[in-house]
This record gives sequence, C-alpha cells and structure tokens, in this order.
Amino acid sequence: MSPVLMFVLPLLGAFLLPIVARASTMAGRLFGPLVLTLNCVIGVLAWGAVSEQTQVIALGGFQPPFGIAFYVDRLALLFAIAVSLGVLLLWPDAGEDEAAQRENTLTLVLAAAATGLALSGDLFNIYVFYELTAVASYGLAAARRNGAAYAATLRYVVISSFGAALMLIGIALVYMATGTLNLAQLAQLAPGTLDGPLGLAAFVFILIGAGVKAELFPVNTWVPEVYAAASKRVAGLLAGIISKLALLIIVRLLVLVFQQPEALQILLTLGILGVITGELAAWYARDLTRMLAYSSIGQLGVMFIAFSIPGPAGLYAGLAVALHHMVVKPALFLLAERQGGALERLAGSAQASPVAAGLFILLALSLIGIPPLPGFWAKFLVVTAALAQPGTAYLLSVAVILLAVVVEASYLFRVIVQLYRRVPPTEVGDAHDGATLTVCAALGLALIAAVLWLAPLGNGLQGIAAQAADRAGYIEAVLPAGVSL
Amino acid sequence: MSPPDLGAILFTGAFGLIMIGILGIVISTHLVRIVLSIVLLETGANLLLMLSGYRPGAAAPIIIDGVVPAAMVDPVPQALVLTAIVIGVAVQAFMMTLVLRLRSVYGTLDIRELRARLERDLAQEAGIGLPTSDDAPDVAGVGTARAQGGDA
Repeated sequence: MSPVLMFVLPLLGAFLLPIVARASTMAGRLFGPLVLTLNCVIGVLAWGAVSEQTQVIALGGFQPPFGIAFYVDRLALLFAIAVSLGVLLLWPDAGEDEAAQRENTLTLVLAAAATGLALSGDLFNIYVFYELTAVASYGLAAARRNGAAYAATLRYVVISSFGAALMLIGIALVYMATGTLNLAQLAQLAPGTLDGPLGLAAFVFILIGAGVKAELFPVNTWVPEVYAAASKRVAGLLAGIISKLALLIIVRLLVLVFQQPEALQILLTLGILGVITGELAAWYARDLTRMLAYSSIGQLGVMFIAFSIPGPAGLYAGLAVALHHMVVKPALFLLAERQGGALERLAGSAQASPVAAGLFILLALSLIGIPPLPGFWAKFLVVTAALAQPGTAYLLSVAVILLAVVVEASYLFRVIVQLYRRVPPTEVGDAHDGATLTVCAALGLALIAAVLWLAPLGNGLQGIAAQAADRAGYIEAVLPAGVSL
Repeated sequence: MSPPDLGAILFTGAFGLIMIGILGIVISTHLVRIVLSIVLLETGANLLLMLSGYRPGAAAPIIIDGVVPAAMVDPVPQALVLTAIVIGVAVQAFMMTLVLRLRSVYGTLDIRELRARLERDLAQEAGIGLPTSDDAPDVAGVGTARAQGGDA
C-alpha cells in the first residue's frame, strides 16, 4: 500500500468520525485509534520498499514539476510513522460528549497535517500543511475552555500567524528568484539563483515561520503558557511530535535549497541562544509543566545546533536527539498530568505511585544524558560532530551544550528529590491511572531497548541520514532524465 | 519625466503593508488592533506573492477562441494567493472568536492586563506564588508559596 494513505486516512477519518460516533458511541471511541494503528501498519509495511528505493508519488497523476509530489524516503517515512504512533499513544482521554468528539477530530486532522509535512515535496504544499497543523493545534490548545486557555491560545495564534505570513513572504521571494516551488527543481536551480542575499533573506523568513512551531529562539514565547494552559497530552503532542515536523521542514530546505554557509551560521546562533534561554528559564521555573516546557525549548536548541553542522554527521546527530526527545518528552508530560503543579506539591509522589516515580527518574536521566541511556549517546554525537567542525562558533556550541547538561541535571534532580520526600500518608496525592502508566512504561521500555540495540539503531540512523543528505539522489528521484523548464 | 513603473509602486505597497503590519503587532496594546495588524501583514505577503508572477503589460492567462495572448502573467501565484487568502480569513475568524471569548471571561482587551490575568491564573492553577524578580528556586521560598497556594 502506498504511503500516501498515511496522510489520506486520518484526514478522511477526521471527517467521518462525527458520523461514526453518531451511529455508535463505542465505534466513535475506537475509530481514531483504529485509523492511527492502520497508519502505523501501512508505514511499517512500506519501510522495506522505501529502504531499497525512495518513492515519489505524483498527486493526481500530474508529474512533477507541474504537479505536487510526495517524496518518501526513509527519513520522511520514519517521521510519518512517528507521528501516527505518537498521536496514538497520546490519544485524548475518551469522553462521549460532543466536546471530546471535536477534540478527537482535531487530533486526527493534526496527525494528517503533520504526516503531510513529513512527506510533501512542494514548498507551497508545505505551507498549507503547516497552517493546517497550526489550526488543529489552536483548537486543541483552547480545548479546556477557560480564560487562561483562551489567552494562551490567542497569544499562540498571533505569533503563529505572524510566522506564517513571514513564511509566505519567504516563499514569494523564492518563487520570484526561481519560478518554481517543487523542492527538487529548487535544488536544481538554487546554485545560480538563491545563493545570494535574496536567498538568505528567503531562508530567514521561512526559518522564522517554521521556527514558531519548532520552538526556535525568538518566536517561542508562546510555549510555556500554552503548555501550562492546555492539557498535558496536548503539550506532549506539540512538544514531542509537532515541533520535530517543523524542524524537518527546515532540515529539508537546508539540505536541498539553501546551501550558503551563512544559513547554517544563523541556525547555529539561534540554536545556542535557544539552549541558553530555555535551560536557564527551566532552572527558574517553579512548576513542573513549565519546567518541562522550557527544557523542551533547550532540547530543540540542541537539535538546531546539530542540524547546523553540515553533512551527514550533523543530520545523524540531530536525528538522534530528535528521536530521543520524541520518546522522552511526551512521557514526561504524561507523568506531569498527575504530578503537575508546583514542585513542592510533588512531595510524596513516590509513595502514591512508585512506578511513576521510577519512570520519571529513568526518563529524566536520559534527558540529562547519563550513560548508558540513549540521551547520552545522542548528545555525544552532537558534541563530536560539532568538535569536528572548524570555527569558534561550533566550539562555543559544545561548551553551551555541556553547560546545559549541568543545568538540566540541577533542576531535574531537584524534582526527583521532591518526588521521594516522605510526607504523612494523609497528604499523599492520587496515583497515576493505569493507561497513562502503560504508555509511559512503553516509552521507557523503548529507551531501554535502544540501549540494548544501540549498534543496529545507530547504523540504521546513519543510513537514513546519508539518504536524506543525498541531494543529487532527491533531484534524480523526483525529476528523472533531467526534466527542466 | 516618465510615468512611475506600476510594478515598483506595487512592490513598495507590498513592503509598506508588511512593515505596517509588523509594527502594529509589536506596538499595539489592544487585541483588535493586533488582529487587524495581522490582516495587514497577510495582505502585504499576499500582494508580494501576486507580484512574483506579475509581468508588465501582460494579459490574464486565458486562451479564448484559440487565441494565445503574446504575454501572459504567471497563473501559479494567483492560485497560491487564493489558498493563502482562504487560510487567512479562517484564522482571522478564529482569532476574533477567541477575542470575544476573552472579552466575556476577563472583561478586557488590553494585552497588558490580559497578560497579568493569564500569569495569575496559571500560577494559581499550578499552586505557586506570582513570579517576582527574586524568585530564586530555594526550598524555603517554595515552601511559603505552598502555604499561600493551599490545596488549590
């Protein structure tokens, strides 16, 4: 089955869901998870074929560069599967009223749009999916229907619309210079047309636009408020999954279109600033949700640093950090749902739920980067790749990442100490429910499995990075026999 | 003196709208003004996108009775702008809905007041005191915040 179904099914499902739920509430509850499971199966089945050869799907049968093409390599498929799996794990708590149903519908739209972002090979198509992702996430962010949720969401909408308009300006500049929006054709034409100041301006506009979702340094002020005001599942979804898709757009554009070293320097600088501001703000945070939100800004900063390292080594390192964060951050947010609130209210959590506290420690240690957990390995890859680069900026980034590890350890250990502080049995809070713990345990097991199969995992990721960095291969796959206008 | 170039005028207009929009978002304190600034910014971006396919003196890209015009404007940006306008209108409608809801919950549209209310609500929900300049994360300070926050 074609991977394009991974985009079509959730979108179709989103519109069918209200009808199905009207016929039977039971079917309505199972419908979304069923669609996403099917998506995962399709993705895994397509993996073998895509590993041998990348697939190019011309939508509507219009051949690129005239029509819109979906480009499916292992990187795109990996993120598409991760979206379906992540949304499935973070599926909103089943309720039967209309509000819960709307939330389910929006979640499916979010999954479809995010998959589209992973697969699309056309710049304007990416913009449309980006906006679709944004609109679905606005609805989810405001779903709690209280003043704080409205205010936080409005702030998010304003920043996001501002970013989207800048992205549109960037796309207009690209189109003026090249007359095409197909990524493969852009890659062909870029060396003569987009390597000047105009191309750099277009890159900065698109970077800031996509950076809103990817929690890039200057446009990430919405992050803590929205994550604190929305339900923790939504926070986990936005921080863990959706931000990585926005990052993927930036990476694709860097590899294919914007090849000037200045573009990488800008990304590196903003990444370093993101790490510094995110980690320091997390250290100052006094409630767990916002601490996790700020720490996610810091982690995204590490990814920006990694992706600013040219060549497959940077892609490999960035991919490792991104995947690791995709596993760890949603699980931490899920645990924070019950352990949320001020840090000192966490006291006694280990008495209420020893498993949850144990999982928190495992996830936190991996987030800090304690060997032998995968978080250590991911950060180690970034540091070694950055050290191999000439220039003081990369050295500075290494220093910042290492300092950030110390800061992260300091604030996460503070949380762990609180978890294990003993309180009188009357003050022990609620235990976690079974469903949340199962999901977190599954994600924790994924971390341990990653430790055990580190070598094959590393080889696999290296292969994916090499394929993603293959610019000529992308052009050849989308535009065989050198189609040119 | 030759008449000013139409393209140049439109470019100036597009960048002018973009600048006004960005400035409006940054300096306005009233929510409706911020929403209107976003409308201006998006209009500027759309105009710029239209201009990327503009050619002076060219006809609309429509072939009537088999007659192909000598010079046609590029139809692709026009299709793109149509999409962008639709997305923009939908998001603006959503923003205005949120503005109405905010107005009924908090009774104000001044962003400074709204920010303070949001900060207070979030702090209350988390059970911490309001952020102050000296909120160093020492355990004693957190303890007092707990006493104030109670079991909210």
